[in-house]
Amino acid sequence: MSIKAFELVSAIERVKLMSDKAKTQIECMDVCGKNMYIGTSDCFVVHYSIEEKTQPNGRVTFVSEKQGHKYLVVKKPIAQLRAASALNRIMVLCDNTLTLLNMFDLEPIVTGAKIKSVTCFCINDNPVRTNPFSVEICVALKRKLIQLYTVTEDRLMHLRDISLPDQALAVGVDGKFVCAALSSQYCVVDTDNSQFTDLFPIDSDQIKPIIKRISKEEFLLSGPSALGIFATSAGVSQRPPMQWSDGLTSVSYVHPYILAMNDEFITVHSILDQQQKQAIPFQGGVVLGDFDGRIFVASSREIYSLVPIPFEKQIQALLADKRVNEALELAKNANKTGMTRDKFVKMFKRIQQQAAFIEFCQQHFEEAGQLFRDSGIDVREIISLYPHVLPKSINFTRSVPPLHEIADINQLSRSDEKVKAAYKEFLRTFLEDIRGTNLAHGYKREVDVALLKLYAESAPERLCELISVDTGCDLDDCVEWLERHGRLHALGLLYQRHAENDKALAVWTRLADSDSPDPTFPGLEFVVEFLSSLTDHELLWKYVDWVLEKDEELGVRIFTERPASEAQSERLRPETVVDYLHRFPRAVITYLEFLVFQRRLEKEKYHTHLAVLYLEAVLRLMEGNSVKKEELDIARSKLRHMLQMSSLYRVQLILGKAKEKDMHAECAILYGKLEDHDKALRILVHKLKDFGAAENYCQVNSHGKEPGYRKRLFHILLSVYLDPSYERRDTLVAPAMALLNSSVAEFDTVKVLQLLPDSWSVGLLAQFLTRAVRSSMHNSRTTRIQRMMARGENLQVKQTFIELQRDAIVMNDERACAVCNRAFNDPSFVRYPNGVVTHVHCAKNKYICPVSGKLFSAGRTR
Amino acid sequence: MSGKKKADLKVIILGDYAVGKTSLICRYIDGKFQTQEPTVGAAFFLKQWGPYNVAVWDTAGDERYSGLSHFYCRSAGAAILAFDLNNPKTFESLWARFGSILEAANEDCLKIVVGTKVDLLEPEHREITIEEGRKLSRDLNEHIDIRKLPHDPYFETSSLANENVQEVFEYIFQYCLPLSADQKKRHRNQQKSVVDLLENSEEGDKGKKKCC
Ligand SMILES: Nc1nc2c(ncn2[C@@H]2O[C@H](COP(=O)(O)OP(=O)(O)O)[C@@H](O)[C@H]2O)c(=O)[nH]1
Ligand SMILES: [Mg+2]
Repeated sequence: MSIKAFELVSAIERVKLMSDKAKTQIECMDVCGKNMYIGTSDCFVVHYSIEEKTQPNGRVTFVSEKQGHKYLVVKKPIAQLRAASALNRIMVLCDNTLTLLNMFDLEPIVTGAKIKSVTCFCINDNPVRTNPFSVEICVALKRKLIQLYTVTEDRLMHLRDISLPDQALAVGVDGKFVCAALSSQYCVVDTDNSQFTDLFPIDSDQIKPIIKRISKEEFLLSGPSALGIFATSAGVSQRPPMQWSDGLTSVSYVHPYILAMNDEFITVHSILDQQQKQAIPFQGGVVLGDFDGRIFVASSREIYSLVPIPFEKQIQALLADKRVNEALELAKNANKTGMTRDKFVKMFKRIQQQAAFIEFCQQHFEEAGQLFRDSGIDVREIISLYPHVLPKSINFTRSVPPLHEIADINQLSRSDEKVKAAYKEFLRTFLEDIRGTNLAHGYKREVDVALLKLYAESAPERLCELISVDTGCDLDDCVEWLERHGRLHALGLLYQRHAENDKALAVWTRLADSDSPDPTFPGLEFVVEFLSSLTDHELLWKYVDWVLEKDEELGVRIFTERPASEAQSERLRPETVVDYLHRFPRAVITYLEFLVFQRRLEKEKYHTHLAVLYLEAVLRLMEGNSVKKEELDIARSKLRHMLQMSSLYRVQLILGKAKEKDMHAECAILYGKLEDHDKALRILVHKLKDFGAAENYCQVNSHGKEPGYRKRLFHILLSVYLDPSYERRDTLVAPAMALLNSSVAEFDTVKVLQLLPDSWSVGLLAQFLTRAVRSSMHNSRTTRIQRMMARGENLQVKQTFIELQRDAIVMNDERACAVCNRAFNDPSFVRYPNGVVTHVHCAKNKYICPVSGKLFSAGRTR
Repeated sequence: MSGKKKADLKVIILGDYAVGKTSLICRYIDGKFQTQEPTVGAAFFLKQWGPYNVAVWDTAGDERYSGLSHFYCRSAGAAILAFDLNNPKTFESLWARFGSILEAANEDCLKIVVGTKVDLLEPEHREITIEEGRKLSRDLNEHIDIRKLPHDPYFETSSLANENVQEVFEYIFQYCLPLSADQKKRHRNQQKSVVDLLENSEEGDKGKKKCC
């Protein structure tokens, strides 16, 4: 609780008071610049000069010299005395009379201005009027009255009276407000309108009323139960009360301390937290006062000063006691002591840092973290407390003078593993928080390396992100650390990050082959992914074997999932890869599929190869006896898809095998590829009896061809249906009819009619015929419309042509080409519709005027 | 703590000695329950409520300070009148002593009656009924339009068990310094000191929509 804020220093050791009678005592005093005035119990006013000297060792001493004295004759004690330097006067209250003396020779002023029956007075430090050569005072009279005066060099000008319900025992004034202590309560009076506000009751027999102006519109009052109570002019309190001691005689204030004196002690409270900070034993104190920020205190015959201990010292004392909050609170207020802004900020940050380390020692991590952040600490100061966590190659020396006395966290945790873990946890979260912020600026390497080391120890799952995203981790001591902690996957990533791909792969292959893998390692897939985007193809080949031996289907992805933007390379030419993959049957299929379907390479070799591989697969399945039907179906449909989709494979090669094995559906497709549609359709109709497929065949095979082609295909199909040589042709009448009536099939009607057996009734064909007639009509009509429209257009063009020719163009010697500006030597020339005339060779584009750039619609001449 | 920042609302808590006033405030401000030194004269806490500063004044229940209570009540916008649910005398004091003290408060001062230490209450030995408490709270607030309140200004709290404490203060603040739903949410976040990214991004979206 205690703090040393002030030091008692003797100012005038033994005041040589005028009469040496023992009862002569100091009653009151005022200090104004270098002048000190003392009022005595036997009616003397004594004038001293007093000067403060700071010794080289920082000690403050005072040098004083008596200047003169004055006896005021009335033989009464001097009750109150105030200097008004602006007027060169001192105001003296003696025998209930307020008079003015000259400040230098202590002579009364000639006008003899005075106020009688005054009990006390005070100066308004926040005057309503702003004349610098006058002073406003408030006096309390013996009657129930207070008065306001303006004091000038030679006058006391009465301003106004304010009557009170009771005699005022003490007064304070600020602006237009007077705070007065009556015998049973304090009140505030608005002197403009004499409006009263009661504050709170006191018993003035028990407690000496004290009114001390603290700041603008705020007073500090002595309250019941020895409380120091703050009250504003508005009659409310904005600060909690202070607990004082009993029997106070006076109070003074130098920010941020309130000093209060009783018979034995001077106590020091902070206005910031209202707590007592210091108690200075002082027997028989008579006067305590603050004078322009200096504090003097007098006993009956001696005068002392309370010299403030420099803030810095007070703060360091608090820090030494681990009283962090008080130290910071005090430090915050130090800028009110006239330090420059820069100096203050520097001082404050340093104190915050010291405070942070104190909290750190006590494992108050939240507070420590906040303070570290606020103070903009050099993170290395913190990291260096953790053994081996700073990169080895960094030479860091802690700040001098030291911010703390911590050796390292081992010392702090006294080998308690739990505590140690807590410290590490703190560093971890702290670094995570500041990563990328200003605080980490310039120390990216230190921060990231520290995080890597911490993660390696206790949070391996976070290593990956740390290393992969813009990391400051170098290889130096990270490699060793990761090895030591068995974080091999992270090590691989780190190598990768530093473009040491070979080393990275070596680590990963080691991992994939090991029995006790790193849980953060995603497995072979990861290596494959890495290889599939590896630009160093030479290195890639080094590992392909290893991968494919392990898992060929996964391994082939190295070739199939390469980045789209990758440049072609000799080492990864499809031929090379296909050749290489021979050993791996499934991989080669996948790779060829990739080439054919995805890359759409139009090379007969790959297409044939893939088709053959598909076919072989099917044949293998057909030979096997315990093969599921679905499996075979899938294999065959894959083959068919390939056969249908591609037109680049060697058809004959496949067809031979397919025929041999009675693979009709495949044969149909293959005949289709050979444009042997009759054969294909016969297979579909006769062998497979799949009429839908037949119809579909016509559509698929005529896709993208001229319209006649489709008609021809459908016609072939119809002929197949109606083939008289087929013994079971009656079964095909229905599909033939269906085909004729189908909405997708297209026919040349005349040819169909020729083909149809004569025996078929018209009724049977009604639907087909109606449709045929209708579409034929439609065709005829649209053709007519087209013809007429063409004629109309032709007429329009003719008209335009005539119009263009109607105007004569005069060509003579003066006429020059609009482009080259030379004369015309040839009879032929070009005229643009806008009248521009040029040489034939100068007219580069007949739709664009070469002079104006105007575009002539090409449509008009079409 | 410095009281220099001008507060937007002054809340005062009154009630007999040892009914648990300081504990109630500490539970709210610090979120802790700890044994309190008897309050000297008065104590003071600042609390942020949305954009506002609220000064919460704790007073000493001791008779010898009652002159001061009067003074500290001046210009209070709300007063918490606390009594110990286990001690009927403290309830009577609210009628007898503290009603008059509050004359110094604002005319429209909201008065909240709070029965404390509900954790110690054995329902079968209850001496002050909820209805009595409610009635007092209504009677004390005759000067204001009670219909504006969500319910009677009466609470039963336990600072020990952290029951209803938050509610008392939010009830007061929401009446005296109403926050919009949005501000309130932000206030909560502020207290949690967590940034709600989702909410922020939503707001951003809204802004965008408006400008189209
Ligand atoms: N069981 C219980 N005890 C409480 C509660 N609130 C306060 N107390 C106790 O009551 C006593 C007085 O509390 P205090 O806050 O100092 O009362 P104040 O004089 O009104 O400020 C202390 O011993 C507290 O521990 C509560 O909610 N439950
Ligand atoms: Mg208390």
